[in-house]
Amino acid sequence: MLPALVPSWRFFDMIAPSPRIEYRLFDTGETPITDWQEYRPRPRYLSIFAMAKRMVWNPNWNEMLYLVSCSERIMAGEQDHSARQIQYCLRRDVKHQGGYDALQFRLVFLHREGEEIRKDVGYISPLYPRGNGVG
Amino acid sequence: MDFDLAIRITEIILALAFMQASAEHLSGPKDRACVKDRWLFVPRIFLCLLLLAGYQTPWVCAGLVALSVLILQRYQGPYNGGSDRMGLLVLSCLTLVHVLPSQLLQELAFGYLGLQLVLSYFMSGWVKIVNADWRNGRALGDVFAFSAYPVSEHVRNWARYPLLLRVMSWAVMGFELIFPLCLLHHAALVAGLLVAASFHLANAFLFGLNRFFWIWLAAYPSILWLQDRLF
Repeated sequence: MLPALVPSWRFFDMIAPSPRIEYRLFDTGETPITDWQEYRPRPRYLSIFAMAKRMVWNPNWNEMLYLVSCSERIMAGEQDHSARQIQYCLRRDVKHQGGYDALQFRLVFLHREGEEIRKDVGYISPLYPRGNGVG
Repeated sequence: MDFDLAIRITEIILALAFMQASAEHLSGPKDRACVKDRWLFVPRIFLCLLLLAGYQTPWVCAGLVALSVLILQRYQGPYNGGSDRMGLLVLSCLTLVHVLPSQLLQELAFGYLGLQLVLSYFMSGWVKIVNADWRNGRALGDVFAFSAYPVSEHVRNWARYPLLLRVMSWAVMGFELIFPLCLLHHAALVAGLLVAASFHLANAFLFGLNRFFWIWLAAYPSILWLQDRLF
């Protein structure tokens, strides 16, 4: 509660490395059956109408922002809860894809180095077997 | 603005903002995690309806504070960073207004919210202007180029216009830093709040930060009242 009652208001004081969640699926033999793929990639284009609609209804995007916070918390050492949250959302969103027995995710961080934007892997999760419900 | 009217408008906007966020939480798939969320967000919507109706407001506010603590525990921190923090701040000040025994203490609690609103702009401007990357536009370029916020790849293209980004950076920093001066005149404050709301609206469109827009609006009556009270 204290950070809410005495806030620091340091929005965007520096642009930190930005996390992306990537995942891949495995078969029973723990062999990956997909390459790493970005979780919930952004659309190429969003109309003004769609942006306006998101003013009152934006659950998926707000969940994605929460998962960005979870990614940052994992890198800060708070791994258990945050990894469970990411795992839960991934499991929920890929459950329609049959033919896999486990999944794994990793966190890649985009950051600027000179004029170049670099991408580094910051965390790789263990394999999560399919079917274990998490909340 | 009259104290009672400012409090009432704050209650209404806060209730609507909390209901909007709660409805988003309840929209997920009907599985185990969502059942857990329902125990938090259905009661929150119910309490917000009571807050809208103005029924037993001190108890309703206390209930909303208790739920907020449980929600913080559920997500091991704020779900949406700054907007959740501002929501808690508005709710806490409102609760104090309803439980503190004297008018002076109530005004101090509500005035604290107004002060924090001013600081939310001023401090955001200060931490940016002391950073060379913000002054030369590169930081805003990085926000568009690789941060998690742009809502589409098309919006990322803004990173290709460094001059525009530099102008935008200085416009944002300049506005945030001069915002406290708006307190000196009622018309200036109204104009300042309109610009600030437009800024939040742009952030909501470009970066999907819709909750910031609604929750910051909930704090505006406190500064309109504080300005009347002080000047």
